[in-house]
Amino acid sequence: MTAREAHRTIDAVWKLESGRVIAGLTRMVRDVGLAEEFAQDALVAALERWPTSGVPDNPGAWLMAIAKRRAIDHLRRAERLDRKHEVIARDLESQPDTSDIDDAIEELDNEVGDDLLRLIFISCHPILPTAGRVALTLRLLGGLTTDEIARAFLAAEPTIAQRIVRAKRTLAEQRIPFEVPAGPELAERLASVLEVIYLVFNEGYSATAGDNWLRPTLCLEALRLGRILAELAPGEAEVHGLVALMEIQASRSAARTGPSGELIPLADQNRGRWDQLLIRRGFAALLRAKQLGGPPGPYVLQAAIAVCHAQARTADETDWAQIAALYDGLVHLLPTPIVRLNQAVAVAMASGPAAGLALVDPLTGQVSLQGYHLLPTVRGDLLAKLGRHAEAATEFEHAAALTRNVPERTLLLERAEAARNQTATTTLAEAADAFLARPDLDADTIRSYGQTLRRLRHDLGEHIPLASVTAGQVAGMCAAAWGNAAARTWNRHRAAIRSFHAWADGQGWAIGPLAAGIDRRRAVDGPAEAIDRQGIAALWARTDAALRERTLWRLLYESAARAEVALSLNVEDLDLADNRGRAGGRWVRWESGTATLLPGLIMGRTRGPVFLADRKPAPARTPAAEDLCPETGRRRLSYERAEYLFKQATKPHDPTGHGYTLHQLRHSRLTHLGEDGWPAPLLMHLSGHENPRTLGRYVR
Amino acid sequence: MRFLMLSNPGDSQPDETLYVEMGKFIDELSKQGVLLATGGLDPVGTRVQSAGGELTFTDGPFAEAKEAIGGFALVEVRSRAEVIEISRRFWKIVGDGEGRFHQVYGPEDAQ
Repeated sequence: MTAREAHRTIDAVWKLESGRVIAGLTRMVRDVGLAEEFAQDALVAALERWPTSGVPDNPGAWLMAIAKRRAIDHLRRAERLDRKHEVIARDLESQPDTSDIDDAIEELDNEVGDDLLRLIFISCHPILPTAGRVALTLRLLGGLTTDEIARAFLAAEPTIAQRIVRAKRTLAEQRIPFEVPAGPELAERLASVLEVIYLVFNEGYSATAGDNWLRPTLCLEALRLGRILAELAPGEAEVHGLVALMEIQASRSAARTGPSGELIPLADQNRGRWDQLLIRRGFAALLRAKQLGGPPGPYVLQAAIAVCHAQARTADETDWAQIAALYDGLVHLLPTPIVRLNQAVAVAMASGPAAGLALVDPLTGQVSLQGYHLLPTVRGDLLAKLGRHAEAATEFEHAAALTRNVPERTLLLERAEAARNQTATTTLAEAADAFLARPDLDADTIRSYGQTLRRLRHDLGEHIPLASVTAGQVAGMCAAAWGNAAARTWNRHRAAIRSFHAWADGQGWAIGPLAAGIDRRRAVDGPAEAIDRQGIAALWARTDAALRERTLWRLLYESAARAEVALSLNVEDLDLADNRGRAGGRWVRWESGTATLLPGLIMGRTRGPVFLADRKPAPARTPAAEDLCPETGRRRLSYERAEYLFKQATKPHDPTGHGYTLHQLRHSRLTHLGEDGWPAPLLMHLSGHENPRTLGRYVR
Repeated sequence: MRFLMLSNPGDSQPDETLYVEMGKFIDELSKQGVLLATGGLDPVGTRVQSAGGELTFTDGPFAEAKEAIGGFALVEVRSRAEVIEISRRFWKIVGDGEGRFHQVYGPEDAQ
């Protein structure tokens, strides 16, 4: 044979045999680095002799025999008489003379399975950094050269060489034993091996069309290692699970790339191009895993998910409910953000986009997903399905900015554009719903805005396009609905419309200047006007008001307390002797006017709210226990009711005819006291104001 | 790369040792993750001819011994040199005979 043919053959033989040779040698010399050296010596010898003598019948045994001879020679010739080396050398010599090829063959066959397994475990030992494990495994078990490994991982050759050197050194220094782990250690060590194999596979799987040809071959290397491991350790379900996963993933490689090199997502792949041979192998491997029994591990679960996809002849026939159920289990074992993201996709397909979105939203803050373009892609997809097109467009644009893959970026920008086009046809109802669904609004704001928008939708129509709503229409509607309302109400609705417009505009929706025709009204009843002293006196003279009302009003004036605080008073917190009561964390102090009226109102009660409503509450609307009188069963008087009664009662007194507010009693009291010369600190003590500036208006 | 390896059936009857050896060889190739599919073919077979839109089916065995295929193996390897090496080992077990192998085109060859 020519030198060139010889070299190619030797290279092929090396890749097929080197793992087993190194494994057998490691058992003998107890050092992976040394073992590789001697194996390399044998390779050199093969390169020298085989071109002329031809390839031997059993090349593996030939290499083994030569390597062993070299090992013995080296150990004898070691300059420092290291006892250990001497002992090993003696051990090697005491074994039957294995420079005889036949014996070497037999020995190789007997032990090779176990040795190979030991070599796999040692080269994937968790004490080595992952990159070191990968490089060492590919070198020792895959027979790849340092250069090949470097090019496959897009790294520099010296970097890979360093990793391998360091890995060997660590194994020697730490005296890692050459054995198959047993018992509880096995699970962890096996996980480390599977991690390395899957890492190699994914590196190859992620290769794009523009990469060098060596990268996709990593998939084959990983598959081979997995298949070998499955034969060496057939009792381990997770190994079969990993092999099944890789076989099925690899089955899709022909369908994954489009004509211009773009990646085609699973749902859009032409399933006729899936390699059924590999799929069948995947099914068989998963079956072996299942037959071993026991709770499924992460690889078995991932393989089961892959099988679900592979079993569906078209994307529509995919059993998403089953996949979502499998993810439920997987998320427990591997609660990583990526797995949770994939779970969200499955749940969305099985139970609708809203359910999926509920699982995606918590992931948006995850640090590890920040640069991951698939997160906004998935979110955008789900938002688009929910009709929230403007938000979807934003997400797609964000995803496009994150991906380096040009065809993918183009695709994402196209989807963003399509989503934006959708927003031109957004209806008023959709926009209003989206506006109110904002997570940054509190319940009160939502209620208030909701009121405004409900009227808008009712009067103008649910399904009219948002873009067609004019300022004139909105102005007309507001005038009809709230033209005669108080200025504050008018301004509140105006603010809601302005907020709606600003938000929709910010989302990129087409919307007219809705609030343009609505002017802000001057709030006539702005800061409360004080009731003059004659008015107050006239109020006390009202004998037609109920005892409760007269007591409340007197109390509010004399104490200058806030109405809510006064209404929250309970009988058990009253100190009648000292004309004070405890409420809202402070003392409410009244004077003789209130003191005369209170006992009559309390009527011998010992517990419960001081101010009670007229009737018992309906059974369906029972309030909390602290608002219910235990003796009469009536509930606490509400602010709204008290205010209403006061307003009605004071209409004759009020020159404007509107009636006064309860707050005005407090305000009037403070005003009068200020007129009487009370200094600010004293007023503050009475009123409970925290900011002295608020009292400024009272003090002379 | 995938290769389809074909071998002609020999004239001599295969003996026990051959079956055992071949069995071991197939096992080993499987364990190395190299063998994807393999099988022996029935020697009779059926020939199909299509001419002018008309299909003709003819049962074997066929006179042209050279074209007969006794068995096949589909292997996944890294290089042509590897399949040559596998071929060498196969024929070492079988002895005299003839066969051929063809590369099976994959997606990477489509470009």
